[in-house]
Amino acid sequence: MPGITEYVILGAVLFAMGLVGFLARRNLIVIFLSTELMFQGVVVAAVAFARLHQNLEGQAFALFLLVIAAVEAGLALGMVVLLFRRKGTLDAEAWSMMRG
Amino acid sequence: MNESTAYILYLLFALGGAAVYFLMPRTERNWTLVGSVFGVAAVIGFLVLLATRVVASDGSRWYFCLFAAIALLGASRVITHPRPVYSAIYFVMVVVATAALLVLQSAEFLAVALIIIYAGAILVTYLFVIMLAQQPGSPVYDRRAREPFAAVVAGFVLMGAIAGRAGDLPTPPSHATRVADVTAADGDANGSPTLLATGNTLAVGQVVMTKYVVALEIAGVLLLVSMVGAIAMSRKRVADDGWRGPPRPLGEVGKGAEPF
Repeated sequence: MPGITEYVILGAVLFAMGLVGFLARRNLIVIFLSTELMFQGVVVAAVAFARLHQNLEGQAFALFLLVIAAVEAGLALGMVVLLFRRKGTLDAEAWSMMRG
Repeated sequence: MNESTAYILYLLFALGGAAVYFLMPRTERNWTLVGSVFGVAAVIGFLVLLATRVVASDGSRWYFCLFAAIALLGASRVITHPRPVYSAIYFVMVVVATAALLVLQSAEFLAVALIIIYAGAILVTYLFVIMLAQQPGSPVYDRRAREPFAAVVAGFVLMGAIAGRAGDLPTPPSHATRVADVTAADGDANGSPTLLATGNTLAVGQVVMTKYVVALEIAGVLLLVSMVGAIAMSRKRVADDGWRGPPRPLGEVGKGAEPF
């Protein structure tokens, strides 16, 4: 059975891939998909740590993480639709006037 | 993890980072083939490293290799595919592979919840939004990534920091998720068979309903708040953005309609 390290590294790789997508892509929908990818990495790592400590706190944490992911998806996608209706584009750069 | 293993791992991270960089959508020149070669090489290297490092008696190592490879390849396509619909479909692949990895760690309830919530609910919402807010053809912001090199470097640093700290975590005995509590609940004094008999759902339910019951209530309130927020946002009247050009094509249908 693979140890904890492999799972944690896999979780880290998934999280970092999500980060790369979040930073590099310009489509709002793909940006939010990348955050979901980061959630996947965290779930893998949390469950691995639950196994390391021989308890279920990590799994309970991952369960609450799913709730947060659902909340985030609902709100974020509502916002994406709103922004799209305003400007007619999904480009994140179109909103760059909010830059400081 | 000894030093040479760590350096091989960093090398593989660099290879994977280069793969993601070359796979990123760009307008000037298409490097997809180079990126694919790099990516496949990185994943194969990862698997070889794993196979030489972990000495396992049961077959779960091969399942881990298989699903880890699926998750990594799927994830690389999620963040690099120029069309959002395909990104979402590849994300389903990542979710399924992750669920399989959770099953390997005897977190069955979480695996099923992941598939139901992610692949069943969240991804369907994403697909709906992609269909609602689709622009015709392939717009430029999907074909050109923004600063892919800087993003890959940031991801590489983060990954190296986490993996460097992951170090040599010990390998716990398999099938051991809170044996003591479950057996205590079932009145069986000696051992893990009860866990397999009662399952992981009972154990997780006990933890969530006793220790984290306040958090559970807060999660419910949070879901309610997000529902109210989403409704409030979509009810809002959309201001005119001053577009006076020709009628906008597909995906813009119903733009002028006032909600409710």
